[in-house]
Amino acid sequence: MKRLACLCLLLLISVVASDAAVRVVTSLPDLGDLARRIGGDRVTVDNIVRGDQNPHFVEVKPSYMMKLKNADLFLIIGMDLEMWGPQLVDGSRNAGLTVVDLSQGIRKLEVPARVDASQGDVHRFGNPHYWLDPRNVRLMMEEIVTALARVAPSDEPYFRSNAEAYLKILDAKITEWETEMIPFRGSKIVTFHKSWTYFAEWLGLVVADQVEPKPGIVPSPSHTADLITLVRQGKIKAIIVEPFYDASAPEQIARTTGARVLRLATSVGGVDQATDYISLMDYNIRTLISALR
Amino acid sequence: MRCIRTCLCAGVVVVLAAGNSAIAQTSANPDISVIPRFLIESNDGEKLAEGKRELSQPDFMFEELEVALSAYLNPYARADVVLTLPGPDVEVGKLGLEEVYATILRGLPLDLNLRFGKYRVEFGKINMTHPHAWSFVTQPLSQERFLGEEGLNDLGVSVSTLLPTGDIYTKLTVDLLRGGSIGKATGISDTSGAKPTYATSGRLSSFFSLSDASDLEVGLSGYTGIHDPYTRDRFWYANLDVKYKYRPSTYTSLVVQGEYLHNTRTAIQDRNFNPFLNSEGLPESRSLSTAGMYVYADYQFLKIFSIGARYDWSQSPYSSDDVARAFAVFFGYYPVEETLGLRLQYQNTRTEQPGGGQSVNLIALQALFSLGPHKAHPF
Repeated sequence: MKRLACLCLLLLISVVASDAAVRVVTSLPDLGDLARRIGGDRVTVDNIVRGDQNPHFVEVKPSYMMKLKNADLFLIIGMDLEMWGPQLVDGSRNAGLTVVDLSQGIRKLEVPARVDASQGDVHRFGNPHYWLDPRNVRLMMEEIVTALARVAPSDEPYFRSNAEAYLKILDAKITEWETEMIPFRGSKIVTFHKSWTYFAEWLGLVVADQVEPKPGIVPSPSHTADLITLVRQGKIKAIIVEPFYDASAPEQIARTTGARVLRLATSVGGVDQATDYISLMDYNIRTLISALR
Repeated sequence: MRCIRTCLCAGVVVVLAAGNSAIAQTSANPDISVIPRFLIESNDGEKLAEGKRELSQPDFMFEELEVALSAYLNPYARADVVLTLPGPDVEVGKLGLEEVYATILRGLPLDLNLRFGKYRVEFGKINMTHPHAWSFVTQPLSQERFLGEEGLNDLGVSVSTLLPTGDIYTKLTVDLLRGGSIGKATGISDTSGAKPTYATSGRLSSFFSLSDASDLEVGLSGYTGIHDPYTRDRFWYANLDVKYKYRPSTYTSLVVQGEYLHNTRTAIQDRNFNPFLNSEGLPESRSLSTAGMYVYADYQFLKIFSIGARYDWSQSPYSSDDVARAFAVFFGYYPVEETLGLRLQYQNTRTEQPGGGQSVNLIALQALFSLGPHKAHPF
């Protein structure tokens, strides 16, 4: 009888414990990885966008609304990357949901002076791909810790110590990546979309141009022809393409110029090797080095 | 009853709360979008009565202009207004109110959403979609015959809730409507000044995520009201809708969608107001049961192209002998982005009636653009 009572108590404790976990949904899997590092077993984490999906264009599906229905926090990149976010939040009918915009403290690049559709799909608050500069992760983690602590104040020390432990590892990796990339500072690259602005600024790379004539606009034959000249004259060795973009125009440029098309991932899960944020950056930097060498 | 009372009280509280905070209104403008549709059309049915089958001279037509305004009213509610200027004559058309409604999105008990105003009713799938978002040019015949050219769009109040079905999204929506929409389909509008006839509609839908790339939505709708305000004769519609979408990449997708509508009604006359007569030639009231359906597939490729086909079959709301069938193929081209689109459609429509039938071919080229931040239509 006692044994049965103990078993019931254990079961009850485990149910209460699992109920007490902070329920986090993130837009990108990268944010999910960071939230897991901070929250450990005191959070449950799910994400909306897969790493091999274009985060700019996400269909407003009821299944995503269900993910948000019981969540405490919705972590987003912000800066209008998740234009689809408000419809999902509205559809979730979750009055207790807090949307946390992680771009608050970020130094924003490419903030346009004027926004209209003639510029393509320009984000009015600036280029939102800041998570690809790992130095920004510290600021993002601070926001996540604050948001988690608001939901579970007693767990704040636990969240902070996890964040600090992770940042120590990340800082060491940042130093390693920067050292590896020193020989390639000033190297020119071409990217498909303006996803790599923060990444390039961090590593001292020069983005010569994009395959898209304007952000979000499909490559045109005349722009591709111009790029062939640019790549040839600039002796550019690498054309970076995200896993979800059609590589036919970049491959055409590569065939004519000898440059290499690199499928770099912008998010965790974008390629098989990118299982978490650190392995994502590891993969991107090693692949880039192999082309620039 | 108690539940309804609780919901109404909560709704009133939210509305009052919104009213109190109206003093601190934001100066931000609502999202404003303008979406016109133009058409070049030719068909070979105009001179059939004269025994001639020849394609009419293609005509440039203004189809419709849609002006959509939307914004949050407060943290709990948003409002949507859709103004339309109908064609074909752009010079004499009047801007009308297609939709104007407020939705209380959160804060109500039982996960309720409350909507009131004039709106496209959640009956079936395509009725909620504005024509500019269709993959094709023409309205499916079953929708046109049973709901009218404007679809089911009425003044009313709508309440919806998410049912507790685990991870599966299941929504139940119930509408109480003024009952004015059906008159546009039947051609009988109430000029007697009598009390509104009222209508009720409801939809139960479930969304299944079959894989990362494919989803299925199944819905069951019902709609009942009075189709003849003078005789107070009633109709009942039951509608099954199914939508499957496969999207393996940003550039490619396949949509297969269909609806089946079953109609039951009592009536004293047919669609053309000819009275039903019994074997002795005396007027009689008849109980009718008819149906209609459509199914289409649309394949998007290289992001900017789409190609598809649709099949329609529909009886008349008043006669199972009055049958229309249509087969259409359509092609879409969205250069650069979906802000600009061209749709080309060929359609063959066959109608069969006791007195005979006819077949009409139609070729239409539609051009449209979308100015402003019109938000994406949900799945």
